[in-house]
Amino acid sequence: MYSNKYIYIYSSVMVIIVAAVLSSAASLLKPVQEKNIRTEKMTDILHSVHLDADRSTAEDLYNKYIIREEAINAGGEVVCRFAGGQQELGNVRPFEINLKEEQHKQQMLLDGKEAEAPVFPLFICEKDGKEYFIIPLLGKGLWGPVWGHIALESDLRTVYGVVFGHKGETPGLGAEISTLPFQEQFDGKTLFDEAGHFTSIRVVKGGVQTLPPDQQNHGVDAISGGTITSNGVNDMIRDCLENYLEYIKKHLAS
Amino acid sequence: MEDIISIFIRSIFIDNMIFAYFLGMCSYLAVSKTVKTSVGLGIAVIFVLGITVPVDYLLNEYLLSAGALRWLGPGFAEVDLSFLSFIMFIAVIASMVQLVEMVIEKFSPALYNSLGIFLPLIAVNCAILGGSLFMQEREYANIGQATSFGLGSGVGWFLAIVGIAAIREKIRYSDIPAPLRGLGITFIITGLMGIAFMSFMGIKL
Amino acid sequence: MSVEKQPKEALFAPKNMKLIFNPLNKENPITVQVLGICSALAVTVKLEPAVVMSISVLAVLAFANVIISLLRNTIAPRIRIIVQLVVIASLVILVDQILKAFAYEVSKQLSVFVGLIITNCILMGRLEAFAMGNKPWPSLLDGIGNALGYAWILIVVAFFRELFGSGTIWGFPVLEYTGLYHIGYKNNGLMILPPMALIIVGIIIWIQRYRNRELIENK
Repeated sequence: MYSNKYIYIYSSVMVIIVAAVLSSAASLLKPVQEKNIRTEKMTDILHSVHLDADRSTAEDLYNKYIIREEAINAGGEVVCRFAGGQQELGNVRPFEINLKEEQHKQQMLLDGKEAEAPVFPLFICEKDGKEYFIIPLLGKGLWGPVWGHIALESDLRTVYGVVFGHKGETPGLGAEISTLPFQEQFDGKTLFDEAGHFTSIRVVKGGVQTLPPDQQNHGVDAISGGTITSNGVNDMIRDCLENYLEYIKKHLAS
Repeated sequence: MEDIISIFIRSIFIDNMIFAYFLGMCSYLAVSKTVKTSVGLGIAVIFVLGITVPVDYLLNEYLLSAGALRWLGPGFAEVDLSFLSFIMFIAVIASMVQLVEMVIEKFSPALYNSLGIFLPLIAVNCAILGGSLFMQEREYANIGQATSFGLGSGVGWFLAIVGIAAIREKIRYSDIPAPLRGLGITFIITGLMGIAFMSFMGIKL
Repeated sequence: MSVEKQPKEALFAPKNMKLIFNPLNKENPITVQVLGICSALAVTVKLEPAVVMSISVLAVLAFANVIISLLRNTIAPRIRIIVQLVVIASLVILVDQILKAFAYEVSKQLSVFVGLIITNCILMGRLEAFAMGNKPWPSLLDGIGNALGYAWILIVVAFFRELFGSGTIWGFPVLEYTGLYHIGYKNNGLMILPPMALIIVGIIIWIQRYRNRELIENK
C-alpha cells in the first residue's frame, strides 16, 4: 500500500518539520531561560546576605547591593574585577564564571594534566555600611550536584549567612539542606580557630553537642537521614573555601 | 573502581527504579503475574539498560550537552543541542531495542524465544528512558560509572518484578477484600516492599 | 469505535461527552487501564508540581491526539510507532522548553519527569487505540478526558501527601492555623517518601471499586 519511496519522503519531511519547529522554539526561548538562570543565581547571592529578593526584584537589588565582583587565582591575587557596571581588570566578568569548569581545570592540574589556571569568583556586597564577602560553592550530594553561597563578614572569618541548593536530593531528607532551619545554623559560626588555623565549618552527624566545647563554633548539626548529603555539604564548604585562603590572608594583611 | 561498585549497589537497592522512582510501572504491573515471565522481562530490561545508558552517555557527552561539540573545532564550543536530548535518547532506545532483537534472533534462537516477545515492549518502558535521563541529570564522570548505573538499575528492576511476581503467585490463595483484589493489593504490596527497601538507605557507600 | 461514516453530529453530542467523562471513572487510565503510573507518582509530593505535571500531560496528549488523528490516513503502518514517538517527543520537548522559560521553579522540581511523559503509556496507548482511527474532534475530547482522568488521581494523591506529609496545601501551612501542632500532632514523614504514593493509589482503587462493583477483578 505504501511504497518505500513514500516512507522515505514521509520520514524526511517529518524530520525536517520537527527539526525546524524544535530549534526555532529552543532559540526563541533561550534568552528567557538564561535570564531565569541568571536571576536565580542573583537571588541566591542576595539570600546569602539575608536580603529578601524574588524574581522580579533580583536584578535591581543585585545591582544595588553587590558593589564589586572579583575573581582570584590560586595565589589569591585578584585577576578580574567588575564594579559599577564596568570591567576594571581582566577580561571575564566574575559573575559569568562557570564554577564547574574552573573546578574541572583544577582537578586536571591536580592529576598532572595540562589545563588553564583556574580562577574563582567572589562577590562583595555592601549592606547597611558593612562589607560582606560572598563565595560561591559547588559540590556533590547523594544523587547529583549541590551548590550554595556563603557570605562572610568583613573580618573574613565569621559566617554571616549561607544558602544551599540541590538538584535531586531526597525530599524530606537530603533536600532539607535548602531549608531555613538548616541554613540558619551557619550564621555566626567561624571558619578559623583562635590560632588562625582554617577549620572550615563541619556538618556533624549526631549534632554539634558531640564536639568538644572549643570546636562547637565550627560545626553545625547534620540532617538526620541525610548523611551523604550532609557529608557532601561538609566537603563542599571545605574544598571551595580552601581556594580562597590565600586571598583571605592577603586581604587581612593589607 | 570503588565508585563504580558503589554506584552499582546504590542503583540496585537504594535508588531502585521501581521503589524510589516508580519507573517502568506499566510493564511491572502487567507482566508480574507469574515468576517465569517476569524473569524474562527482567533480564531483557537489564540487557537493554546496560546497553542504552552508556550509548546515551556517549551521545550526551560528545554531541548534545553544552560545549560537547568542541571536538569538531573551537567554532562549535558554543553549540548547545541539549534540547534535542529527549528525542535522541528515545531514538537510540528504539533502535537499540530493534538491534538487540535482531542480534539475539541471529545468534541465539533459544534466548530469542524466551526474551523475544518482551523486547518490543521495552522500547516504551519508562525505566529505560528514565535511566538515560537520570544519567544525564546526575552528570556521571565517565562511561564506567554510567554503565554501572545502567546495569545496576536493571538489576534493581529485575529484583523488584521477580519479587512482586513471587508474592502475587502466593497471594492468589489469600482472601483479599474483593474491591482490592488484583491491582489494588499489588499497589499496596509494592508500597510495603518499597518501605522495606528503604532500610537499605542506611548503607554507607 | 469508528465515528467516520456517520452523518455530521453535534459537537457536544452525548457520545462525545462520554469520551470526556468515561476516563474519569469507569475507564480511568490509572486505576482501571493501568497506564501512565510510571511518571505519575513521583511528582506527587507537593500539589503544585502535580498540577503542573497534569497540565503538561493534558497539553501533550490533546495535541498529540489531534496531530496523529489528522495524519492518520497518511501514516504507513510500518512506521507508525516511530511517527507517534516523534510527535510525542517533539511536543514534550516544547513543553519542557516552555516550562524552563516561564515556570522555572516548578520545572526544577519536575526535573526528569517532564521528559518521562514521552514514555507515559497513556500517550502511546491513546494514540494507538483511539487517534489512529478517529476524527480530530473526538480525538481531542478523548485526549482531554484521559488526561483529566490521570490528573484527578495525581491531584488527590498529591493533596493527601502534602497535607499529611508537610502540613501544607499549595504551600500554605493550613495545619498550623488549626492549632493541631499544639496538642502534639506531628507531620508524618512517611507520607513524603515514595512508597506512600503507591499505598494511597491502592486505597483510591479500593474505594473506587467498592463503589463501582463491576470493576472488581475475578479471582
